[in-house]
Amino acid sequence: MNPSKRILCRRTFLKYGIGAAGLLGIGGAVAMRLRHRPSPAAAQATAHPFAYELDAWRQTDPQLIHYEQIGQIRSPHADPRRIAIGPEDQLHIAAGKYVSILDRQGNAGTDIALAAEPRCLAVAADGTIFVGLRDHLEVYHHKGQRTAVWESPGRKTWFTGLAVGENDVFAADAGNRLVLRYDRSGKLIGRIGEKNQERNIPGFIVPSPFFDLEIARDGLLRVTNPGRHRVEAYTFNGDLEFAWGKASAAIDGFCGCCNPISLAMLSDGRYVTCEKGLPRVKVYGADGTFESVVAGSESFAENAKASAVETSDGAQGGLDAAVDSQGRVYVLDLVAGDVRIMRRKTGLTGASALELKGGIKPQHGCHA
Amino acid sequence: MDATPKPEAPVSRRNFIRGGVRVAAMTGVGGLLGTLAGRSTSGATLWQIDPQKCLRCDKCATECVLQQSAVKCVHAHAICGYCKLCTGYFNPEPNDLNTAAENQLCPTAAIKRKFVEDPYYEYVIDEPLCIGCAKCVEGCNRFGNGSLFMQVRHDRCVNCNECAIARVCPGDAFRRVPVSHPYLLKTVGH
Repeated sequence: MNPSKRILCRRTFLKYGIGAAGLLGIGGAVAMRLRHRPSPAAAQATAHPFAYELDAWRQTDPQLIHYEQIGQIRSPHADPRRIAIGPEDQLHIAAGKYVSILDRQGNAGTDIALAAEPRCLAVAADGTIFVGLRDHLEVYHHKGQRTAVWESPGRKTWFTGLAVGENDVFAADAGNRLVLRYDRSGKLIGRIGEKNQERNIPGFIVPSPFFDLEIARDGLLRVTNPGRHRVEAYTFNGDLEFAWGKASAAIDGFCGCCNPISLAMLSDGRYVTCEKGLPRVKVYGADGTFESVVAGSESFAENAKASAVETSDGAQGGLDAAVDSQGRVYVLDLVAGDVRIMRRKTGLTGASALELKGGIKPQHGCHA
Repeated sequence: MDATPKPEAPVSRRNFIRGGVRVAAMTGVGGLLGTLAGRSTSGATLWQIDPQKCLRCDKCATECVLQQSAVKCVHAHAICGYCKLCTGYFNPEPNDLNTAAENQLCPTAAIKRKFVEDPYYEYVIDEPLCIGCAKCVEGCNRFGNGSLFMQVRHDRCVNCNECAIARVCPGDAFRRVPVSHPYLLKTVGH
């Protein structure tokens, strides 16, 4: 080998030196960049350092979702508030200043025009429709003719829930935080749920106008007590029998300050509950044990963005649910203005297997 | 009798300066009074937040030219549900419903919780502690009645011509209001 070739000339030395320095510089810059790149969490924190974090509860474990959507119906009128199922599974939707009756397929039928916004709704076994306006109840024939207007119990009354049985009509009055019991002619015959230490009744806490009730097949009333995050069972005479529910943002509890906001009952005594804030519809067993999710927060994107309004009317948020004779759950989204028809997924084991067979008599008299 | 008028004495420099100072002082006082009078007329405006447009972001806390923002959380007690589990006061999943710091939502503990009667609690804003982050407002509006909301407090606001918060407000919630009605308060619907 020629020794002269082993000697590095100045030009070559400089060429390699500059090249190496350039590479080092680029490498260093990349390393610095990577080192100082904020983590996704840090980037989020920087973007909104005072964020109110609910993301952990906005996604539902897919294993817990036991229902699938099989249909969707647009509310016939704007500003829907409540939904009820009739004796032949007709859909009754209270929206705007109307009660609209739709057939099983969602085709529009009778439209009943009202003088004011309906706040709650119940359909009796004979198809008679009971409508709660803000401070009084009205009764309509299933063809749409008004047959009675009941006297208002008082100026502070704010009806938000109705249930009708064979001989009784129960109205949840959020303004006075109690349930009023009427006979079918409109005569007031009882007041249920007023705070009474001797009867061990703690009283209803209703911070916002969401207060609902149902008549269960065991002959007891089921009433939401949103401020206590539970459902309470009362006899028709007003004795508190039992209660269940707990406050929690977790899926098995009721989130926020005041939930559940509405209630429906499956034919076997299980409950369908609706919540606001984290809009979700869930099923609880007859003993109050959490069972499954009908639809989680991720299913109600627009609803999840909605929040309280200036007048605390409660019109801009929330969900309502009703159950038909086949055990399908109809979920009314007050913000999106539509009804989602949810059916229990096939292949699941559990108490609701009966629902899939059909033939179960409808839950007459339950508004939702 | 001598009818010849006496010639007027020329204005001395001292008198000229004295007169000039008087005129300048009177002009200054007049201008000051005019400015003060102008401020109190109905034409003057202030910055305020429309609660219906407020998106409860944190810009009020971070963008105000003042070291501690002039925007504060205020509380409409008539709308409040006096909840035991107030979502404006507590974290979404508190360990317990007590005043322990780890359960509180407010980063500066600016909301005071006071027992009223079972199961009701009153919540009061300690304004000097409030930094205007709107975290409590989001919690209250998300789940509750929305009785907590943001307002520009005029005892602190310097009423900039171009409000630094209004410039970046994502809800475009800032607007000019007349001095005679400086606040946009929430009302009870029933």
